[in-house]
Amino acid sequence: MNHAEKHIDASDYIEAPLAPKRTRLQAFGRMLKQNRLAALGFFIFVLFFLCAVTGLILTSGTKPLFNPAMVRLEEKLRPPLSKPNLKALRPDQVPVLNVYLMGTDDLGRDVFARMLQGAWVSLTVGFVAVGISVFIGIFMGGIAGYFGQHHIKTIHILFCLCLIGGIGLIWINAASAGTALLLLCLSSIVFLLSARDKLPEKARPVWKGILLGNAVSVDTLIMRIVDIMLCFPSFFLILTVVALLPASIYNIMIVIGLTSWMGTTRFVRAEFLSLREQDFVAAAKALGIGNFRIIFRHIMPNAVAPVLVSATIGIATAILTEAGLSFLGFGVPPPHATWGNILSDGKNFIFDAPWLTFIPGIAILIVVLSFNLFGEGLRDILNPKLRERH
Amino acid sequence: MLSFIGRSVIQKTITLFFVSIVSFLIIHLAPGKPSQVNPMNPKFTPEILERFQKEFHLDKPLYVQYLYFYRDLFTGKTVSWKDNQSVLLKIWERFLNSLPLFIVGTLITWTLSFPVGIRSAIHRGGIYDRTATFLSYLLISIPGFFFAYILIIFVVNHFHVPVIGMETFGITNASIAHMIMDRIWHLLLPSVLGATGGIAILSRYVRSQMLEVEGQDYIRTAKAKGLTPDQVHYKHAFRNALLPFVTMFGLILPGLIGGSVIIETIFSWPGMGRMAYEAILARDYPVILTVNFVSAALVLAGTFVSDLLYLVVDPRIRL
Amino acid sequence: MSVKRFFIFAPILLIIVLLQSYFWEPTYEEQTKGNPARLTEYITGSIGDASLLNPVLAADSSSGTINGLVFEGLIDRDKDLRFRGRVAKSWEIFEQAFFYVNPSARIPKLGIVDGASLAKLIKRAQKTSTTVDPDLTASLKRITNISVIPPRTYTVEKSIKKSAGGRPKTIRFKVTAPARIKLVLNQVDQHLFQNLTRLVGKKYFESFNGRDYLTCDARLSEKQWAVFAKELMPATEHNPILLFHLRPGVKFHDGYPVGAEDVKFTYEAIMNPKNLSPVIANYEPVKTVEVIDPLTVKIIYKRLYSPALSTWGIGILPKHLLDSQALKKEAAGLGKDPKTFSIRQSAFNRHPVGCGPFKFQTWKSDQYIILDRFHDYWEGPPNYHQYVYRIIPDPLTQEMEFYAGTLDSYSVEPHQVKRLEKDPRFQHFSGTSFGYTYIGYNERRKPFDDPRVRRALGMAIDVNKIIKYVLYGQGERITGPFVKQTDYYDHKIKPLPYDPEGALKLLAAAGWKRNKAGYLEKNGKPFEFTLITNNGNELRKAVLAIAQDAWKQIGIDVRTDILEWSVFLQERIYKLDFDAVVLGWGMDIEPDLFQIWHSSQTHPYQLNFVGFKNKKADDLIIRIRQEYNHNRQVELCHKLHAIIAELQPYTFLYVGKWTAVLDKRIVIKTVDASGAVQYKKITPTKTGDYTYYFNQWVKLPQVPSFMDKG
Repeated sequence: MNHAEKHIDASDYIEAPLAPKRTRLQAFGRMLKQNRLAALGFFIFVLFFLCAVTGLILTSGTKPLFNPAMVRLEEKLRPPLSKPNLKALRPDQVPVLNVYLMGTDDLGRDVFARMLQGAWVSLTVGFVAVGISVFIGIFMGGIAGYFGQHHIKTIHILFCLCLIGGIGLIWINAASAGTALLLLCLSSIVFLLSARDKLPEKARPVWKGILLGNAVSVDTLIMRIVDIMLCFPSFFLILTVVALLPASIYNIMIVIGLTSWMGTTRFVRAEFLSLREQDFVAAAKALGIGNFRIIFRHIMPNAVAPVLVSATIGIATAILTEAGLSFLGFGVPPPHATWGNILSDGKNFIFDAPWLTFIPGIAILIVVLSFNLFGEGLRDILNPKLRERH
Repeated sequence: MLSFIGRSVIQKTITLFFVSIVSFLIIHLAPGKPSQVNPMNPKFTPEILERFQKEFHLDKPLYVQYLYFYRDLFTGKTVSWKDNQSVLLKIWERFLNSLPLFIVGTLITWTLSFPVGIRSAIHRGGIYDRTATFLSYLLISIPGFFFAYILIIFVVNHFHVPVIGMETFGITNASIAHMIMDRIWHLLLPSVLGATGGIAILSRYVRSQMLEVEGQDYIRTAKAKGLTPDQVHYKHAFRNALLPFVTMFGLILPGLIGGSVIIETIFSWPGMGRMAYEAILARDYPVILTVNFVSAALVLAGTFVSDLLYLVVDPRIRL
Repeated sequence: MSVKRFFIFAPILLIIVLLQSYFWEPTYEEQTKGNPARLTEYITGSIGDASLLNPVLAADSSSGTINGLVFEGLIDRDKDLRFRGRVAKSWEIFEQAFFYVNPSARIPKLGIVDGASLAKLIKRAQKTSTTVDPDLTASLKRITNISVIPPRTYTVEKSIKKSAGGRPKTIRFKVTAPARIKLVLNQVDQHLFQNLTRLVGKKYFESFNGRDYLTCDARLSEKQWAVFAKELMPATEHNPILLFHLRPGVKFHDGYPVGAEDVKFTYEAIMNPKNLSPVIANYEPVKTVEVIDPLTVKIIYKRLYSPALSTWGIGILPKHLLDSQALKKEAAGLGKDPKTFSIRQSAFNRHPVGCGPFKFQTWKSDQYIILDRFHDYWEGPPNYHQYVYRIIPDPLTQEMEFYAGTLDSYSVEPHQVKRLEKDPRFQHFSGTSFGYTYIGYNERRKPFDDPRVRRALGMAIDVNKIIKYVLYGQGERITGPFVKQTDYYDHKIKPLPYDPEGALKLLAAAGWKRNKAGYLEKNGKPFEFTLITNNGNELRKAVLAIAQDAWKQIGIDVRTDILEWSVFLQERIYKLDFDAVVLGWGMDIEPDLFQIWHSSQTHPYQLNFVGFKNKKADDLIIRIRQEYNHNRQVELCHKLHAIIAELQPYTFLYVGKWTAVLDKRIVIKTVDASGAVQYKKITPTKTGDYTYYFNQWVKLPQVPSFMDKG
């Protein structure tokens, strides 16, 4: 009785129930709702970031609103919320709002202004240091994970050594430049020889076989470098370098960054080792995409999860390390204020002016706490083994 | 097994060698020279500096200094530049001082974190868990010296008792019981401070391991079988969660040499950390290099031991 | 189950064990809990550990403190800063002077004379009571002995460097010396030869040309000849002599008696180049040390050197423990090479033996040093049984220990002085330090070469404010390079006023005018420089910030930098690579400023690193060193002070005051002839030194009530 058969199209099929799709942002929002502490951490982090940025705006320039470097010797060690002594101050020395919000330190500088300036510096120290360490870590971990099985030939090692030796000798002016150049020439000759070798393995003479043979794999090399770096107790390394180089905020950031990339490397390498065998990588290779593009464009975004976690915790550690260095006297030089600086300057006056210690101490505590909570929250959500079962 | 050990040992020795070179280079390429003579005394002359340099081979090229140093190190003759004592003797003395601090700190850390972590995992999400979590984060986040000062000031102001140093002064004339108790009291605050961070991290790790294990199917089976909660948690879950911690024993070794500089400075505890710090400031190269070398050796030994323990303990791994 | 119980009980047990130890602890009020011997110990704290317990080798203040108690020198200073004998009972200062007979000079009325006649001439002049010249009479009166050294010929070897960095070469001089007259005087007379010219003619000494009597086997330049002629054949020579009479019955801590041999040995140890002694420059003018008998030692100097007596306060080393025999034995025992084994490597430096009031017991590195009292001390044993020197690097913890009763004294930070002075548990003492803090300008760099600029920079800083607010009033202004408590310091010289307007005027006169941005500039170049100091010193950090701000107000852009101590010294100060620096000097009372202010000390690695060069000042410095008369020295010092204050090579900031607090239960205990015990309060000396009577201190269980006269 049906004279025309209808076309069967997709809508006629009953769709099997699929799991609800969640974008990353939604997953993030859900985590925040579930894990109150992580939400709190995130919230404080945002607050801190805003404070730092506004602080930077409010305290920089030649005539800032809140002046962190203005020395007023008559107003030393005044408690918080005290009024300035208008008779003893010049008009440009009187603080905005006519009150010392957090008191003054032993040079009469406004602690509130210094805290604002310090927020930005602490933030920068944290982010730059962690940025450097994450960058190095991702790079090293990626190479180790992806190219792990490639081998470095002995000849390449010799070449590198000769090059470094030559440059080093020239730099120290130790041996005569002649020896250095000789080494360079030797290394380049050797390298050229290796490149031109086309004989099959069995036909090579023994010495060439050794020179061109595989010495060590990339993975081992990078992991050994990581081991060497791990052998140095990190705080001592930082202390050594900071004590011996001129004190500057950049040195501290760079040194902290250069000594904490090892953990990231390990995580990234582990992730790469597992992700490398996945199908999408094979597909990319089959499409002819270059190696580096595969690493950074395809695999990396999937491997980033543990890196993110350790980065947030790393920022917290960097801020604490900077405070520790200031305590020992090697922090950022004056008149820059960092929270660690204010804390260690104030420790001598702990009986006479306890606010100088407590205010930055508690501020550091809260900020670092927030980073840690946020990082742990990220770890909880990104670790599938810990998800709650329904 | 044997081949694994052999390979490991060779690799670690090579690493140690490279570590020694790198640390040597770092120290010598840094600016500033050893300062033994006090320059603030207006009677100081540059000839003294010259003679000093000759005596310690400072005018020879770097590789010669390197060979001299390591020859002295292995024959036990290295001498500190600051006060002419044998370096190995100094390190040993300081090590004996740091040892009780380290032992008590580790004891506190491990005996406190396991119960806390296990309980947190068992009652996940409950008030205990949330409070413990929050306290852990608090302890990790507090700057060490800030916390130290608050504690010291609190104790001194309210109780008027000494907290600094390894023992109270003059106590050597009192009875043995007094002396022992005095030592224990002086150990209390520094080891508590050193242990705070450790407790926080370790208890979190215990918790996460326990949670991972508790999520496994065989635990569900055990519960379904009708075993008591204690048996389920302690006899089955805990044993399996213990695995990574056994290997962590090996990694405790490096902690022997490291000592927190900050805590030792605050409590004037004559330990390794302070010695290394002062050596860095005074450019006392022999001490710095020796401490570096010994600590690197300990780190490598520690990782070796933990790898070995992992092999032994985990039946799933066969090399 | 058992695992669970273990996990519950183990931590609880641990915590209980740890906490109960509190109840065994002594508190401030009850310091003797379980330990009555506490009252006989004096415990003091220090930030740094001692390095070498050897007065000849040590250069830091911690070692200095301990060495001051364990060792004793020939003399020291009493409470009025005059010298008093310690190991030396008494001493005499006189001199012997030499001059060559000048065969080509004519003496008025006599013509050319030889040595013997010259001696007779002087003897006759002594006897004639009336001479026109009172100075000459005074000089002649001092001469106690005249003798003639006959002419002789000898060779001397010297080594010179042909070129900078070249290897030293030995050259030989043949000296044909004419007759020489030796005069022994009973007092040092630095004007002797000027006065003698009235007898032998003005040109007698001047015309003596040492070069005529020298021949050399190598060719030398004119400059080198002049130097060697002055050294080998000087026309006149002063050799001041110190003769010490030692106290009999002084013993070292191991029972050996102290004798002149030990004094000579101490000198030789200082001068021995293997020992690298930091005080070697003080003893360089010594020619010889002679042992006359076991209790008399004679020290002859090469030239006039007025700080000589003060250098003999250095602790005396025991010869029997450190001479070459003893060192060889020690080296053999340790398996080291005896040829390179010097006092520096000896175990003596960690276990010293001296003759001071306290004898060494133990030294635990970086923890403490314990000294016991020496029962056979020549002045009687001190009251305290033990002296303990604790090393506590953190000042806050030192304070904590003081409050807890485990430190007996504490040196107070300026901001705490007010609070601690009022505290009824403690007694306090203050005094001014020996030394000062300053801002030094590198005169080799523009614009610091202009004294007006330096003066203006100094006037722009309100130093009184620094003293009032940074030092909390614990300091005083200083205007010159001498110690303020001595009379070498001219109190009449006024400090720079705080006058930014006047500063701007001075700078304008020097060519610096304000530009549109408000900064000073000259010929298009802005006025900017870097001010540096070392880390670890809170006061200097504060001065840095204040100076920067003060100079910003008058339009100078100053950057500041804080460097770690040895980098600061080695890379900047010693290499003369700095613009301006905040530093301090710690000084001795002697007014010898050669190393800091003489123009010859302006090379790298020397102490006149600001580059101060002034002929008049140089001249005054040398004369001060050679002047033995105190009043004349004071006059010369005042002149030098005025020159330096005028030229402002430094901006002199302040000299700090120190305050120390002690437990009120520490008092001076004296036992009078009848055996009655008296307790007196400790009072400081004129210079603020409260430890002067340290050997008589004692600690009582409670605060005593004092008698009226205390």
